[in-house]
Amino acid sequence: MSAGMAKVEEVFRDRSKRARELQAEGKKVIGCLCTFAPVEFITAAGLVPYRMAGSMRKPAELVEHHLETIACSFTRSVLDLGLAGDYSFLDGFVIPHSCDNIVKLYGIWAQTVKHEYGHFVNVPHTTSKASLEFFEAELNVFRKSLERYIGREITDEDLHRSIALHNRQRALVRQLYEFRKEDPPMISGAQVTRIIGAITSLPVAEGNELLESLMPEVREGRYVNKKGKAPRLMIYGTGNDDVPFVEMVEQVGARVVVDDLCHGTRAYWFDVGTAGNPVAAIAKSYLEKINCPRTYRQSPGTHQEDLENRFGYLYQFAQDFKVDGIILYVIMYCDTHAFDAPDIVEYLKSKRVPVLYLEEQYQTSATGRLKTRVQAFLETIA
Amino acid sequence: MEGPREKTTAQKSTETSKRVRLMVKDLAQKAHEARAKQEPIAYLFIASFYDDILRAMDIVTVGTENYAGLCAAKMVAEPFLAKAESEGYPRNLCTYATCGLGFDAMRRDLGGAMPPNAPDGGMEQPTVMLGTGMMICDPRYKWYQAAQRYTGAPLHVLGLLNPSHYYTHADFREFRDYYIRYVMEELRGLVEFLEQRTGRRMNWDRLSEVVDLSEKTIKVWHDTYQLRKAVPAPMPTEDALSAMVPGYFMMGTQLAYDFYRELYDEIKYRVDHKIGTITDEKYRLLWALSLPPWYGLVIFNYFESRGAVFPIEMVYHPPPPPQIPDAVTDPIERMAWRFYDAMTQRYEKARNHTGDPWVEWFLELIEDYKLDGVVFHQAMTCRTIHTGQLHQMNILKKHTDKPVLLLEGDIVDVRNYNEEATHKRIDFFIEILEQYKARHAQ
Repeated sequence: MSAGMAKVEEVFRDRSKRARELQAEGKKVIGCLCTFAPVEFITAAGLVPYRMAGSMRKPAELVEHHLETIACSFTRSVLDLGLAGDYSFLDGFVIPHSCDNIVKLYGIWAQTVKHEYGHFVNVPHTTSKASLEFFEAELNVFRKSLERYIGREITDEDLHRSIALHNRQRALVRQLYEFRKEDPPMISGAQVTRIIGAITSLPVAEGNELLESLMPEVREGRYVNKKGKAPRLMIYGTGNDDVPFVEMVEQVGARVVVDDLCHGTRAYWFDVGTAGNPVAAIAKSYLEKINCPRTYRQSPGTHQEDLENRFGYLYQFAQDFKVDGIILYVIMYCDTHAFDAPDIVEYLKSKRVPVLYLEEQYQTSATGRLKTRVQAFLETIA
Repeated sequence: MEGPREKTTAQKSTETSKRVRLMVKDLAQKAHEARAKQEPIAYLFIASFYDDILRAMDIVTVGTENYAGLCAAKMVAEPFLAKAESEGYPRNLCTYATCGLGFDAMRRDLGGAMPPNAPDGGMEQPTVMLGTGMMICDPRYKWYQAAQRYTGAPLHVLGLLNPSHYYTHADFREFRDYYIRYVMEELRGLVEFLEQRTGRRMNWDRLSEVVDLSEKTIKVWHDTYQLRKAVPAPMPTEDALSAMVPGYFMMGTQLAYDFYRELYDEIKYRVDHKIGTITDEKYRLLWALSLPPWYGLVIFNYFESRGAVFPIEMVYHPPPPPQIPDAVTDPIERMAWRFYDAMTQRYEKARNHTGDPWVEWFLELIEDYKLDGVVFHQAMTCRTIHTGQLHQMNILKKHTDKPVLLLEGDIVDVRNYNEEATHKRIDFFIEILEQYKARHAQ
């Protein structure tokens, strides 16, 4: 294994190690949940954004007394880690209004996993002009809240610099995904999951350096799996930030070449505008460019046109990455995704893209249960 | 799981609330008549709080959650739930939504005819569907977005009507103005959408009158519920689950106002004459922030058979009479203030005490209504209200030693309910209450 990937493995294995080192140097680390947490503000404040994750491998135990089993198991896993002290190193946390599950988590987290700083960012579900103005006002309150925390002003220049760094990271991740368009892809789905897990635990500049160090290694073909022809898959879904599911899919003979996941393209397939008011630019990008079923976009026309507006980008991914099939992997009790599932299945079938819909708990044991179904799906598209 | 075998609805105590079933039938009839006359019909969620606009524009509304509750009470929801499952909607989704989606899918399959055994003649095909984002729950926009495949009706999602309940870290002065401004702009956007899609024009003077009437109605509804503090309890929760219908589905109408005036008079009479729900009231309980099992409201009568009554509940409660600055006269702005005020009233208190506005309300009700215990119901398919109950209980326990019971079931899907096990839990809880009261009597 070359230096870049070795570093990824090291960081991913102990995601909080670097954050704790930085704290020893006097830096403050702020936990963020979900793609809708506006990390640009945190970086602009001179703080380190740290993307909070769950663990599919650790059974949720402490959470039993705090959050019901009917809550999404990803959210429960994150809270369980918090209650167990895995996030006690954080100086603060920022949770956006993404969906019912995440909103509920904020209230519980604030009272059970205490940090010196906490903020809830209310993100509209709609993209009307009024929603954009509201979101901008809400982000300005967040900016002021951070300013009070750090004891100094966050200037527009700070924000522009931060936007540039985060845009650079998005561009680098998109560049990395370009290598997956090759046949065979030059990097596996599980490796990409680890890379994203690693860079989201580092200050953005360090994450960018890590990505830049990886690029030549990937380009040289060091990670190509040359073992014959295999179906190329896309995974669509929710907070799939851990590797067991992707690993299982790849172990049973597929190649995961692209995704539409919170810890994948969803967070990187857009840029924040660099001209004008930086807060307005962040509001516009997060609201208009992140494709998540929690954001409703008015879509006039027929049902088929509505499907095209909502899911056309999935078909585009399928075309661009020469996908043979798509797995919709929805974590149980994620209502926003589950409501969309029949529409997505209908749309993809209309485009003659084979699709498998799976709904399961965020647990390694659940991954085992899904193995047979994935194998059967691969047989049908072989 | 086993469902209730016989009676599902509860025996009510007040004469006024017994009239509600007829009012629900009338609402359905209005929709059928509107359909026959090709007048606009809107699918609408409960507690959207902008009903005033629809009343002022004479647009007939169909309360889709209410209809699912009715199907559950009539024990006819199962075919609709099964249809939704066969369409690909998981069983664990909100069963108000899946009942509605199943119904819509069946009506589409039947070429627009009503599915067999549809209560009250069924839900009419909507002209428009009106959802809300950031208010109460995600299904309030995702459900109707999904329903478009069956109804083909245009959907309008209104951005926001109230701040998050978890906003207590923030100073309200920082965000009040832009919240109110946002609601106003969104309400105006709703009027524009309705004008475009239904051909109806807004009469702004009429809207002012409707808003006046709504505010008056809220006041008398609120005053009525204040009377429920009396011992013995003059009106129990099972009555309130009916009495909420005019407030949540007919707000801004003279009928709703008259209903609460009449209810006020009846409750006042019962209080003055010490007429309680049951003759031997031993325990007074709070129905916590939990949606009820609509297929099994008879459960309240079971509590009563054990000497326990619910004088008050945290769901379907009237909003508090709005505190609107005198200078605010524009009806849209008054509506915006009404929502904001109603949803933020306990935040300051929570910031300085429990940290949770809901728990503040629990504590107020326990004190004001002289309650002995709290009963939660975990509806398995509703995440919004029924996740976080454990957390509420945890905080509550820090501030009161009142016994707490958690029941399990659902809002619509009787398959998630076990009547026998529920009765056993209630019996055990009554024993705990008895011990609690004995301990405190010493």
